[in-house]
Amino acid sequence: MTSPPASTSALLEAKALTREFDEGQVKALRGVDFSINEGEFVAITGPSGCGKSTLLQLLGALDRPTSGTLLYRGRSLPDHPNPAAYRAREIGFIFQAFHLLPTFTAAENVQIPMFETDRSASERRARAFELLKLVGLEHRLDHFPSKLSGGERQRAAIARSLANGPSLLLADEPTGNLDSENAHSVLDLIIRLQQEQGRTMVLVTHDATIAERAGRILRMIDGRIVSGDKP
Amino acid sequence: MTFFTVVIRGLLRRPVRTGLTLAGISIGIAAVVALVGMSRGFEKGWQVGLKARGTDIVVSNRGGSLTPKPFDASVRDRITSLPHIAATCNVLVEVTSVEESDLMILSSREWGGFCWNNLELLSGRMPRDAMEEAVVLGQTAAEILKKKVGDPIQIETKELKVVGIVKGGAIVEDGSVILSLPLLQGIIGSPNQINAIDVRVTPSTNEQQIRELTEQIQQQVPEVRAVTVSEHLSHSEGFRMVRAMSWGTSLLAVLVGVLGVMNTMLMTVFERTHEICLLLAVGWTRGRIMRMVLYESALLGLFGGVIGVTIGAIGVQALGATPAIRGLLQPDLSIPLLGFSVVIAVAVGISSGLYPAWRSSRLNPSLALQAG
Repeated sequence: MTSPPASTSALLEAKALTREFDEGQVKALRGVDFSINEGEFVAITGPSGCGKSTLLQLLGALDRPTSGTLLYRGRSLPDHPNPAAYRAREIGFIFQAFHLLPTFTAAENVQIPMFETDRSASERRARAFELLKLVGLEHRLDHFPSKLSGGERQRAAIARSLANGPSLLLADEPTGNLDSENAHSVLDLIIRLQQEQGRTMVLVTHDATIAERAGRILRMIDGRIVSGDKP
Repeated sequence: MTFFTVVIRGLLRRPVRTGLTLAGISIGIAAVVALVGMSRGFEKGWQVGLKARGTDIVVSNRGGSLTPKPFDASVRDRITSLPHIAATCNVLVEVTSVEESDLMILSSREWGGFCWNNLELLSGRMPRDAMEEAVVLGQTAAEILKKKVGDPIQIETKELKVVGIVKGGAIVEDGSVILSLPLLQGIIGSPNQINAIDVRVTPSTNEQQIRELTEQIQQQVPEVRAVTVSEHLSHSEGFRMVRAMSWGTSLLAVLVGVLGVMNTMLMTVFERTHEICLLLAVGWTRGRIMRMVLYESALLGLFGGVIGVTIGAIGVQALGATPAIRGLLQPDLSIPLLGFSVVIAVAVGISSGLYPAWRSSRLNPSLALQAG
């Protein structure tokens, strides 16, 4: 169990969080407690199958816990009346495999999450341009994912994650599919954006060198957090 | 980019499959347009033909097919004294093969009756009397049979002479071989038999009085049915059968379209499971996902409908010009029929998309993280 720095307010709090599958035969999370503050950059590390991605799914309201408490800004996340709205407005996902839609250009991919906002088509387009410029892809707006390099795809995916100005960025092995040069540059970009914009970020990785760049590391083994140290 | 762009991209994702699905719907809708257009054209052609002859009420046998079952000509004597009847004309119509034509209307009329008055002579002359072994041909019939004035024409076992070419003011009239009643009765061996009495009412008779007159005729002669021209065909068992067959066949074709679209949309949803999960993960509501799939299937229906209506309209016109059908009907390609066909296609699209849309909205967004 870890405790947040005293001076900041908790964005996320988990108490005795469990997640079981196959009627309890598989216990992915076995009573997880943690607290993540506003503006924090937290890395979750651990071996494969330790429950990192399951935890990320619960934080992103993609799944519901079997038991325990998970609070977002003090309110129960599993009981959120509109999980889709939570995902659209509060969360930005960055996936290992980028997950850009192949039939849409970079600019269009960035606009996809904005359909759940009140922005007009021209505002969506302008916002996509602004975000792609932010990640250095202003020259690749109308390129389809198949015409982008791996690093460029992840940059476009990062721009998409920022589309609706989320409070919380959830990154699942964001550099896992990149070569080392692109991995460094993408990680630098994510951290720069997180710091400049003061967003909270939870990054799942099994790479210790990446985790060390976080403000705090939650180490998981067998569905439990075994340490929550500063690197 | 609008939501519509997203929907269109979904359809363009697999252009070959989308094209094949469109082809399936188009064929179904083309069948609706062609079959219903032909059957309605057939009905309309006969209706216009009756109106062109100046007929207000048709008295025919209760049973009957396309040409009602014959009955005794003396029935006419029992109704002529009824009020509002201005004139009557006994008619015997057969649809049969004549020389090279497989389907030709033989329209025999009481000599001297008003049923001859609408015929406008284009060449030659009218028969001299009821017993002259002569016919006049509607202009389309003359073209189909390749006959001109003076040519012989073989009807059943009898050889008659073409003495005139006429214009009848209706496609059915123009497509008929017209002769006097006793001639046809003699040829088919049914003396004194007719299968309709055309009744013309006095000019001042209103709709209500015409309706009352039909009831009076039926009371007077219970074995026949008296109906107005517009009701005549809707009451005909033969036309009902044609209508039922055309709609039945069309519905089968539409059902094939439904299954085609449903298969396509289900395949789309299965193939795009990860994509849909991703959309859910980035905040799209289940309602929006359902709308996306439904709009895609509705658009398939709309495009398929428009293409199908076009193919059907061209096809039915081409069919209507074939020698077998020419002169029997004028395809009914009215705007309501074409519009209704497109509406059917869109309904097919929407109904076929309901289950795939529901399935897509039930997908678990966490699959977006699991899939690589």
